[in-house]
Amino acid sequence: MTHEELISIVPLDVLGAATPEEASALAGHLPECEACSRDHQEYAEAATLLAIDLQPVNPPADTRARVLSATTTDEGSDDSNLIEAAQRFRMKPWWLATAATLFLALWGWRELSVRALHEKVIEQDAEIRRLSESNGQLSSHNEKLNSEMSEIASPQTRTIALAGQEVSPAATARVFLEPGRRRAVVFFYNMPVNPGDKSYQLWILRSDSPKPQSAGVFDVTPTGQASITVENLPVDLPIKGLAVTMEPRGGGEQPTNSRYYVMGKS
Amino acid sequence: MNPPIKGSPLLAEVAKGDVPAFEELYDRHSGTLYALLLRILNNADDAQEVLQEAFVKAWTGASQFDPSRGSEIAWLISIARSRGIDRLRSRNTRSTREDEAGREISTHSGFVVKNTGAENAIRAEADHAVRDALLELPEAQRRALELAYFEGLSQSEIAERLQEPLGTIKTRMQLGMKKLRERLQAFR
Repeated sequence: MTHEELISIVPLDVLGAATPEEASALAGHLPECEACSRDHQEYAEAATLLAIDLQPVNPPADTRARVLSATTTDEGSDDSNLIEAAQRFRMKPWWLATAATLFLALWGWRELSVRALHEKVIEQDAEIRRLSESNGQLSSHNEKLNSEMSEIASPQTRTIALAGQEVSPAATARVFLEPGRRRAVVFFYNMPVNPGDKSYQLWILRSDSPKPQSAGVFDVTPTGQASITVENLPVDLPIKGLAVTMEPRGGGEQPTNSRYYVMGKS
Repeated sequence: MNPPIKGSPLLAEVAKGDVPAFEELYDRHSGTLYALLLRILNNADDAQEVLQEAFVKAWTGASQFDPSRGSEIAWLISIARSRGIDRLRSRNTRSTREDEAGREISTHSGFVVKNTGAENAIRAEADHAVRDALLELPEAQRRALELAYFEGLSQSEIAERLQEPLGTIKTRMQLGMKKLRERLQAFR
């Protein structure tokens, strides 16, 4: 290849457009030819005008930070390691962004889960307290019932059976008189359901007086059942019998009629 | 735009490990290099990555810079372009659509480097000279140079791309480069 041919290759070589054979021939020639070497430098400088002609564009700020970090993180390493490090740093924001997003999502999910669980625990604590109170009440009630059952089953307890009368022949009642506790417990069955403006009233028929004595008023369930407890019965009360009438709501001091629903003698 | 200023002391200071000088080097030239890499790679992520590689190379290899062989910016451009073309060639896929998008980024971005004071005046003069030189080039010559410089095509590949005889392309490139060189010499 002649010198003129080599000179003509120079502008192509600085652009990287020479063929491999041309580039190789020129590379061998340049160290030997000062003029061609100078031409090569000047053409290379001229080629940069193509880049300088471009409107500069500021790279993102994080690129600057990554570039400058290379001056403090890998000063002692070689270029290839630095470039690898640079590539790693280049990936870092993506990784960090992804990791941060995942972390925030997981943290948010965890927070929501913790809050939901916390609220559930509070609700369950409240439910446990409510059930404990209910259980306490039931236990107390159970103890009371057991006590009452014991009292009712006691040999000292007297039992009086009340039978249905003409207006309610299917009705029955059973009275448990507990003299020791001055108390009577009465259970009613198959009683007609009383109207809203009426109440049943239990009367104690005394042997020492023609006037019955009120022992209390009550309503029955839709199935005709009821139970009442009469407290503070007078000691040695001469009970001849018991009877029930239907009275205006709230009852009265004396029966307004003689239509007994149940009645029995002691 | 950055002028082809020769004999800048920055790289000599960078070679001594002067971090502030390196920061100034980055601030002075990163806009031009990034625009170049966007033009070559048509991809902002790749351009940022290669820009970082180029400056890391400048940091570690500043002592290799010889001011008698060219300007600081020419040296940096040479590093960035070389790595950008290497990256471009290593990519298997490249579409025309991406090319156009990249050009849009490089030529119409609002993130323009701002200079001040006397430096602005010097660079304005340099910009004017550069632009004149390039404007004086016939479109065919300029196109051939751009395909080689920004896309890394060989003369035969350019001939094939432009559907022109290889000899014609070679002549256009030689004439175009000669004009750029003359313009640069005139500016100095």
